[in-house]
Amino acid sequence: MSLARFKEKLETDPRLRGNVTFRYTIPAAPGKYQPIPDFVPQELRALLQNRGITQLYSHQAQSLQAVHAGRDIVVVTPTASGKTLCYNLPVIQALLENEETRALYLFPTKALAQDQVAELMAWSDELGGRIKTYTYDGDTPGDARKAIRSAGSIVVTNPDMLHAGILPHHTKWIRLFENLRYVVIDELHTYRGVFGSHVANVLRRLHRICEFYGSKPQFICTSATIANPAEHGQALIGRPVTVIDDNGSPRGPREIIFYNPPVVNQPLGIRRSALLEAKTIAHELIAAKVPTIIFTRSRLNTEVLVTYLRESFHRLGDTAAKIRGYRGGYLPSQRRQIERDLREGKVLGVVSTNALELGIDIGTLEAVVLTGYPGTIASTWQQIGRAGRSSGESLAVLVANSSPINQFMVQNPDYFLEKGAEFARINPNNLYILVSHLKCAAFELPFRVGERFGDIDPEEILEYLEEEMVLRRVQDRWYWMSENYPAVDISLRSASADNFVIIDTTDGKTTVIGEVDRFSAPMLIHEGAIYIHESQPYHIDQLDWERQKAYARQVETDYFTDANLAVELKVLDVSATNKLPYATLSWGEVMVTAKTHMYKKIKFHTHENVGWGEISLPEQELHTTAYWFSVPHAIQETMDRDALQSALLGASHVLGNIASLELMCEPADLGVTAQVKSPFTGAPTVFIYDRYPGGVGFSEQLFAAHHRLMDRAYSLVSKCPCPSGCPSCVGPADEVGPQGKEYVLRLLEEVMGSGAQKQAAPISAERNA
Amino acid sequence: MELKSKLRQFLPKETPKKAPPQRTVPDLRPILGGEEVETPWGPCHVVEQDFPLDHSWGNLQLGEAASVVYPEGLARVGLDELPHFDLARTLFLDTETTGLAGGTGTYAFLVGTGRFVDGRFVVKQFLMRDYNEEVALLYCLEQELRNSQTIVSFNGKTFDIPLLRTRFAMTRMSFLGVEQHSQIDLLHLARRLWRSKLASCSLTSLEENVLGFTRSGDIPGFEIPQRYFLFLQSGNGLLLRDILEHNAYDIISMAVLMGVINARGMYTPADCTCPWEAEALGGIYAGAGRITSALAFLERALCLAQDKEQQVRLLRTAALLHKRHKHYAAAAELWHKLLSLAEDDLMAHEELAKHYEHREKDFAAADQMTRRALAIALRQRSPKVPELEHRLRRITNRRQRVG
Ligand SMILES: [Zn+2]
Repeated sequence: MSLARFKEKLETDPRLRGNVTFRYTIPAAPGKYQPIPDFVPQELRALLQNRGITQLYSHQAQSLQAVHAGRDIVVVTPTASGKTLCYNLPVIQALLENEETRALYLFPTKALAQDQVAELMAWSDELGGRIKTYTYDGDTPGDARKAIRSAGSIVVTNPDMLHAGILPHHTKWIRLFENLRYVVIDELHTYRGVFGSHVANVLRRLHRICEFYGSKPQFICTSATIANPAEHGQALIGRPVTVIDDNGSPRGPREIIFYNPPVVNQPLGIRRSALLEAKTIAHELIAAKVPTIIFTRSRLNTEVLVTYLRESFHRLGDTAAKIRGYRGGYLPSQRRQIERDLREGKVLGVVSTNALELGIDIGTLEAVVLTGYPGTIASTWQQIGRAGRSSGESLAVLVANSSPINQFMVQNPDYFLEKGAEFARINPNNLYILVSHLKCAAFELPFRVGERFGDIDPEEILEYLEEEMVLRRVQDRWYWMSENYPAVDISLRSASADNFVIIDTTDGKTTVIGEVDRFSAPMLIHEGAIYIHESQPYHIDQLDWERQKAYARQVETDYFTDANLAVELKVLDVSATNKLPYATLSWGEVMVTAKTHMYKKIKFHTHENVGWGEISLPEQELHTTAYWFSVPHAIQETMDRDALQSALLGASHVLGNIASLELMCEPADLGVTAQVKSPFTGAPTVFIYDRYPGGVGFSEQLFAAHHRLMDRAYSLVSKCPCPSGCPSCVGPADEVGPQGKEYVLRLLEEVMGSGAQKQAAPISAERNA
Repeated sequence: MELKSKLRQFLPKETPKKAPPQRTVPDLRPILGGEEVETPWGPCHVVEQDFPLDHSWGNLQLGEAASVVYPEGLARVGLDELPHFDLARTLFLDTETTGLAGGTGTYAFLVGTGRFVDGRFVVKQFLMRDYNEEVALLYCLEQELRNSQTIVSFNGKTFDIPLLRTRFAMTRMSFLGVEQHSQIDLLHLARRLWRSKLASCSLTSLEENVLGFTRSGDIPGFEIPQRYFLFLQSGNGLLLRDILEHNAYDIISMAVLMGVINARGMYTPADCTCPWEAEALGGIYAGAGRITSALAFLERALCLAQDKEQQVRLLRTAALLHKRHKHYAAAAELWHKLLSLAEDDLMAHEELAKHYEHREKDFAAADQMTRRALAIALRQRSPKVPELEHRLRRITNRRQRVG
């Protein structure tokens, strides 16, 4: 009934009404139930009964059946559908049958690991302490580690710790590896891109060690909705998986609302701040006594929003409505407190960063407000899933910001609803990543001649490492021949092997506030650059190139800096080409050379040029993979060189954003460059390259998605309400010129086959592409 | 593109290129002595050397280590019981490794052992001439370990023993390894005795300061892994000579050092000639709850000490020890003695104030001591000020009530 009050407000308040671009209600679904399988022992049934569970959701029962049949599984069901039971039940059953059994749980974050341990402790208490669950991470004290190694039945850790702390010391974990029956990997979809490619290799190493100790664990994985769980699961764990995705949990009706803040600056395409609009909406929800969670994209925004909301209720003289901030790093007990307060109505609004997005259950919420598109459909569904129980109505409002991706989403709600989810991609055979992990693997156990590593034959790389004198071959084995402990030099999460750190020196501090890869350093952290971190501008005072450190200081400025980047791209090798009637597209290996000579100081809002400076830093080389397409020659008949240049610039802007949407990556993970007459193709060409050395598989995927990219780019640009280009579509008009938008549309039409596509392609055609 | 050329282009060079590695097992007998030993797991190289007991080692002779009565002195220094100690079944052990990082990729390529046998000291060194001889090396070591019940090492509890445990585990064979032995880590004992005397308790520092000699031409430890890798690549046995010598030195020094430590453990106060050692022994006995002995050693240390700072420290330790055992008068006497050396000592004033207030009920003296303590505390900006002010008020009250 209180939700109804909010909806009425939304329909009648003129300030809000006009900004709603889309409303859709997902109907309620009844639960699908199945009996608890016969092989579940009486003791465990009794425990379930204590929890009021006498039958299972269909996906839970199917998971148990599949695991019982010895299969590796991936369970793909929404938030709060009882996923943990799918792995906890088989593990606990195995432990009840044989207490020597061991299980390894991998969570991407510590917070998730802590929640899981809390849940397992509850099970263990009811079983008289028979299940010994321990977290093993960077915080585990030294004296506790020994006990965990020998006595822990369930070891809960993260991939980083497995990589650097457990596998290289496997002899200390003999009990675990000899008896390892199950490996549980939660939130499988988070292991994608560079991180996922690393983790796949960590799991290859895990397989080797298990084989050494004679165990062959079964994998039980869970994932948010992704388009390719079977393929992704297999790529990660190196074995075929059974996908269980028929959700059997009941669900109340849920309304999804897209909200686009009004344009406040027409020529610049600037919309009213998503944060302020989210505040207004959250205020109305909380005022209507709807328990609400608001997601923001940074910690700073979380704090700002809590303050704003408290103030706005205070002004109304209403101090009873309690607002809580929520950050990563809270203990389970603190989370339980927030849950309790929500249940008892002491807290009505929780403002959170993405920390809560992953599997953590806060319960009782009826509405979600998303401040900006979270970047992927999978994350969006997870955040939306935070509200709404098995029965009763719930509501989710996505408040868009001005970025091209956000604008694309609010303009194309079908994309969100119909596509369902993205593809998760990894490239475990990226040479940089692969070589790193082959070193770790050789450190852990000598390689035998003929031994495989995942699906590859590593012989040639091992020979290379032998020539480099990192390994030594004796008879049929390669041994580690170095003093180093290779795992410490390899971070699973950093986007590049050697990063520059940015150090905040304000008021004598020395806090690391960020990292930038080597390739981007000349552009982003040259001396004099304004580096923006969590909305706070920093001035880069000094860049120590040798030590890879930039020293920054907080400043108040009215300008930002933009470095002129001269990019040269040379095609080294073509992996595939597709000649279409209108355009030719390819992907392959490229060498990108980037040099920055100078930067401009640009005033916020007005974008006027208020100064410049020189940059003298070394030229950067990046050997990677790229996808590219050339524009038909015919275009030069209707466009002069300047027009073409502006069209290519604008198309690069929009395609870079659309491509990151396709790939579930950050726009900064990709580079886009265009050549008016490419030496390689002889025609105007747009290149999108992978910013990680060697590439992590993005280019091949973009090559396959060419039509979809063009359609979406066209749709985004043609639907943008700006008159002649703005940051939300082709880039600001003062960069692409007054006719930039028109030129971009023309260029895309040419590439797509001209007149036939004058209208934006209907979204429904996409799936055929 | 060729994978290898791609790798070259992608990845930075780890080391400059050198000649292709040698593949045949070199004959080391002419260079290192010793012999190739066959085991069920293939061969490895073993060097055995005998040393007579009158072999001199710094100021001492090897035999002095064999003639003391073990293990009582060791037990006193280490505060541990050493059951079934038998010198003939004691193995001195030291490893040379391919790195310090630990983990399963660090190998012990040379394991040196030493043992007193029939009036001699026998050093046996087991060397793998390549990685595939590791199991043979461990097999030979296992034979030595089976004949031993105690392993003596220097920092072995932290480094050598866990490393060997890993190496044995890596074979997946039923070696007994290092699991059944009691452990004596001489580094721990040496630290108890000489921590305050010596800036470093490394073996080289102990050789210089306790055993009385300096190694010449010793290979620095950090060079050893690279030297071994170079040997693997080249087959040149000369590269190993320094490493074997370094290892043998470590083992002999360990044996002599154990004798010295045991002897120190048997010292009476009168035996002490060094104030630092006497102080360290006083501390060790205090820790063991043997207060009379502790005080006797501290008193001896006080006789020997030249340095005022040490004298003050000794008096404070002794006074606190007396107090802990309720010898209040003795404690007070030492506090007064301390004040004659260091008139600004806050703790001594405080303790005497407590003594006069609670034991002697001499409130005038207590008042005076507290006032002085307060003046010092104020000057030193000590956090004790409020506590002392409170004490002073209380004493004033008690004086008034009594008076
Ligand atoms: Zn626009």
